[in-house]
Amino acid sequence: MTELIFQAIYSGLLQGGSYALIALGLALVFGTMKVINLAHGELVLLAAYIAYAVESAFNVSPIVAIPVALVVVCISALLVYLLVDRIKKDRELNSLILTYGIGVMITNAILLIWKADIRSTKSAWLQDAVVLGPFYSMRSELGFFILSLVLMGLLWWWLSKSWYGRAVRAVASNRDAAKLMGINPRTTEIVSFVVAGILAAFAGVALYSYGVIQPPLGHALTVKAFIITVLAGVGSIPGVLAGALLLGVVEALTVTLLSSALQEIAGMGLFLLVLFVMPNGLFGTAARRG
Amino acid sequence: MDARRISVVLAMVVMYIAVPLLLGSNLYVMSLLVASIAIGGVALAWALLGNLGGMVSFGHAAFFGVGSYVSALLTMKLGVPVFAAMLLGGVGAAVASIAMLPTLRLKGPYFALAILAYAQIFRILATEWKSVTGGSGGLSSIPRLPEIAGFDFGSKIGNYLVIVSIVLIFALIYQRIRASHYGTALRAMHDSEDATRVVGVNSTLLKAMMLFVSAFMTGVIGAFNAHYINFLEPDYGFSGLWSTLPIVAAIFGGYRTILGPVIGAVFVYLVDQLVFKSFIPSGHQIMLGALLAGMVLFSPTGLLPWIVEKFKRSRNAPA
Repeated sequence: MTELIFQAIYSGLLQGGSYALIALGLALVFGTMKVINLAHGELVLLAAYIAYAVESAFNVSPIVAIPVALVVVCISALLVYLLVDRIKKDRELNSLILTYGIGVMITNAILLIWKADIRSTKSAWLQDAVVLGPFYSMRSELGFFILSLVLMGLLWWWLSKSWYGRAVRAVASNRDAAKLMGINPRTTEIVSFVVAGILAAFAGVALYSYGVIQPPLGHALTVKAFIITVLAGVGSIPGVLAGALLLGVVEALTVTLLSSALQEIAGMGLFLLVLFVMPNGLFGTAARRG
Repeated sequence: MDARRISVVLAMVVMYIAVPLLLGSNLYVMSLLVASIAIGGVALAWALLGNLGGMVSFGHAAFFGVGSYVSALLTMKLGVPVFAAMLLGGVGAAVASIAMLPTLRLKGPYFALAILAYAQIFRILATEWKSVTGGSGGLSSIPRLPEIAGFDFGSKIGNYLVIVSIVLIFALIYQRIRASHYGTALRAMHDSEDATRVVGVNSTLLKAMMLFVSAFMTGVIGAFNAHYINFLEPDYGFSGLWSTLPIVAAIFGGYRTILGPVIGAVFVYLVDQLVFKSFIPSGHQIMLGALLAGMVLFSPTGLLPWIVEKFKRSRNAPA
């Protein structure tokens, strides 16, 4: 039993890597634009389906699909940005309704193009077991987990060292002051959407490479990303990573100890607990309250 | 009598007498009407929460589903009369909304997302709590609306009259709340919640009350729907469609008006069923998503208010 539990914790941690990428995209866009992109999970799912399409059309590994997914998802993210940018009045609420509508459109477009069936990769190489001491995982799980850590490292470097990254942070913390320093907020908004798209593309291909995908999943991913940002509080990459790993572990433990159907409730339970006990998140101090 | 009164009376005559007399024999049209008005009721409840409470909900499917399950189970397992059970279904949904109270201290996008998550949780609960809900197999042969004093409320016309009356009563309740001093306080909160709190309004309590009322209304409609179609399963009762359609309808009809969402629902539902569904059988929701996005972009206050505005302007314009 303890072996099972340790194995579940390990699998959950690996799963958390992709969750972190998704949540970081959501948080980045929220940072610069104060807009929650409810279609974010759908963008991730779009990348996953592109991996499926490329795999089944050319009979290659889904990893080959990453460049295609990057292009398509970034263009889609830009389109979402252009639409959101058109909203001038009551932006906070109207952008929610708008991106919700876009999410419904993407989900149903996926349904129309790729049907409602559950899909998973046929690549045996990706599904091969990797044994690390007492722990088992698929090659794809471990590989994409490492990749997501690398991406988060790059993101951290970009946000703290590069000019654009620092501009993104400046706009997120004080828009007016950033403008006075000669930063064009529009540019940083576009940049944040594109970076969120890049992270979403990797996460989507990862999800397809080690899991199963189906059209309603996009919605669930948005909810998960949101739960993670609540867990993490406002802000930091390590916080989001910790929140994502926690969610992954809690989900995996629920599946192992209780039932796979209760997986989503586990995340919600965690979410409610944090709301009740620590309304500013596990790692945050800034206020979200009115 | 002023023009307003006359139009109200006319509308009542059309709804209660003309429609049943003219269309009553056409079962297909009547079923479309009943379904669209039911969605109109949910849209009205959604708009009440959005307009008065300032909260955007993406999870009204939760209230709809809870209401339908509570009512169906009460009639089937405990033999509660259908109309009483429908009311209790609304109460059940309001009770379920208590679970959402902690989210009230979240603002804007955080609240919207939290309530979205809740809808999923309720669906999973209904699927997993097999001993009570029958699990994913669902409940069949849910009792229909009864026959009272020789009039069969379970007939197509009976169903129609019941749902029209429910939605009308809800519209009256909505209007009363808006006109009361609670409505004034809620409008003030819309401008500045902090300032309203400073003058001694318990804003969280008011928002909670709007959530209860909205949940109750949605629950009653869900309960009606369960007795109307006599069948229920988690994926249907908690379907995302019960969240999406009312939002589209309310935005389309103008969510700051009382009857706009209902009229919007009738229009959107009929177009969805008759037009969208005929050329995109599965995945026709893509059109709803497009409609929603288009509405928010081009006319966020709703298409109906926009048309009325144009109409007024062209009438007032000097000839």
